Amino acid sequence: MSRLGILLRNHTWLVPLLLLAIAVGVNVYLQDNFFMQRVLNGNLRVMLPLMILAVGQAIVILAGGIDLSVGAMVSLVNTVFVTLISADSGGLELAGAMLVGVGVGALAGAVNGLCVAVLRLQPIVTTYATSFIFAGLALAILPRPGGSVPRDLTRFYRDYILEVPVAAYGIALLIILWLLLRRTRFGHHLYAVGGNDEAARASGVRVGLVRFGSYVATGVFSALAAIALTMSIGSGNARIGDDMTLSSIVAVVLGGTRLAGGRGGAIGAVIGVAILSIIRNIISFAGIPSWYQTLVDALIILAALAGPGLVYLIRRQRNDGN
Amino acid sequence: MSRIRLIILSLTLGLLSFGVAQSYTIGVSNNFVGSEWRTLMVQGIEETAAQIEEEMGIEIDLIFENATVDVQGQIQQIQNLLNRGVDAIIINPGDVQALDIALEEAVDEGVVVIAVDQAIGAEGVYNVVIDQKEWGRQNAQWLADALGGEGDIIIIEGGVGAPANEDRMEGVEEVLAQYPDINVVGRESGNWDQATGQRVASDMLASIPNIDGILTQDGMAQGILNALLAAQPEPFPIMTGEAYAGYLRLWDQARQQHPGFESVAVVNPPGIGASGLRVAIELLEGGQVDESQLTGPYGNSLIVPIPYNITSDELDEFLEEYADAPDTQAMDGQITQEQAASFMQ
Repeated sequence: MSRLGILLRNHTWLVPLLLLAIAVGVNVYLQDNFFMQRVLNGNLRVMLPLMILAVGQAIVILAGGIDLSVGAMVSLVNTVFVTLISADSGGLELAGAMLVGVGVGALAGAVNGLCVAVLRLQPIVTTYATSFIFAGLALAILPRPGGSVPRDLTRFYRDYILEVPVAAYGIALLIILWLLLRRTRFGHHLYAVGGNDEAARASGVRVGLVRFGSYVATGVFSALAAIALTMSIGSGNARIGDDMTLSSIVAVVLGGTRLAGGRGGAIGAVIGVAILSIIRNIISFAGIPSWYQTLVDALIILAALAGPGLVYLIRRQRNDGN
Repeated sequence: MSRIRLIILSLTLGLLSFGVAQSYTIGVSNNFVGSEWRTLMVQGIEETAAQIEEEMGIEIDLIFENATVDVQGQIQQIQNLLNRGVDAIIINPGDVQALDIALEEAVDEGVVVIAVDQAIGAEGVYNVVIDQKEWGRQNAQWLADALGGEGDIIIIEGGVGAPANEDRMEGVEEVLAQYPDINVVGRESGNWDQATGQRVASDMLASIPNIDGILTQDGMAQGILNALLAAQPEPFPIMTGEAYAGYLRLWDQARQQHPGFESVAVVNPPGIGASGLRVAIELLEGGQVDESQLTGPYGNSLIVPIPYNITSDELDEFLEEYADAPDTQAMDGQITQEQAASFMQ
């Protein structure tokens, strides 16, 4: 394998990063105020919740699973969080509510983990089913959209620290969190289980436990995504996460993670979300007629998904020719 | 000499006043493209903008953000419109509260924001909506009257938890409370989706005997009537319908098979978007909203009247008018510029 090949194999996020650079280039060309502090902040804080969710999705996919209930978990934690707080909650109360929210996410993830790792149910079907349980619970907790969040909390989310948007710190923290997790034994085992679970088991990895853990981790990240989302929108809605599940999976794949597991990483997923979001800006600023916006959006995403695969295919054919 | 100067002066002035025809950039944010209703709403805004340009001699530059997006996606739509320097935003909000912060930011920048179809409570935003509760009330009242105040009915409602559905059902319940002899023997959600409505109705028809009436909403009525025509229950219930060409044709078919079949179609106008545009223009032209006309859950709604209802008496007339229209064509209506002006002080 060529050196480039090895580089790309070890850093699956390089190709997505290139795609992102192209997307940003086009965006900047179309939107001259792209680098204005306010515009950057607007973009980043829209991206952050889905980025957190995509990291969660990446973890479970790396371990060879998939989680179709992440959006419902976001809705559930969002409703729990806003129900526990009010417009004039203090810091301690907010921290408490966040902890409860993370606990609920972990618990929901544990339900998924039990079904998949212990009862050996199919991940797709299981998490599809539990998504209705979580969504139903969310609807029972908050039947009508509403609830209020302290203004200070939503203001903080939109604020700057040392001229840098708070959301940028959030993204940095997210990446650090992932890098730390990856270095742990659990992190290594995620790849082992997703790559070849029989081999992993033979070398002493407790496959069931790792699988279980991957779903719990996804639940926790879903909860964190819900908290970021709540800070962004300042309210609760039992269906708020509905559309985020598929986006999170698309982002993971865009980010170079193999759906079968074992290869890829969460940084790619973070980049994937950024790409998806920038594509939307491009469509907006390119002045594409309203009736074609959805079509063009989908075509660009498809091209971005297919691009790396095509390059690989062409290279392989050329090698075969030699 | 002085006369020539005068002519030149008046020509210059004339040119100036002609040249500075008011020009507005107006952004439209639509978060859902999966329904004909929304398509008609967006089309209505486009057509009405052209009309207003002609009527008022102003220029309108429309920017559309038209895609199926989640709430963060719609926030991004709003931000992009702001970054493009719009004077006004017409938005069909995908959430009652989640967009408030983003829209209040727009208002702070001096942008006129009009929410259509769905009322929201963001500060400085005006809603241009129909009274959904009244919409539900009119449907329920028709059904109660048509049933003579007694009978077993089933309810197939829209998206549970969605404000429009809750408001409509509130109106329905108010009416039904006055009719103790009308029994609700089943209630489920068809999620404003024809296929879901059809499936839910089929299941209910199979499990509940002797249904006299069905109360439902637009978006599902064709599916439900299809289920009725397939199941052919005895007695054949009457039902509330929807103001779409396809429904009117099915209604006609049902009426020919069952002379006792009756229905009603209360219009929920997609032209609400165009009505919102007209109100936005009034505000951009310096109008101030007449506060005494503001109502609604947040006290910032301007209520546009429900255009009309179609009953059995008018059916033939409408069947003829919409004979060539596709099934998905909705009956529509919008306010005039004078009506929009009447909302101002």
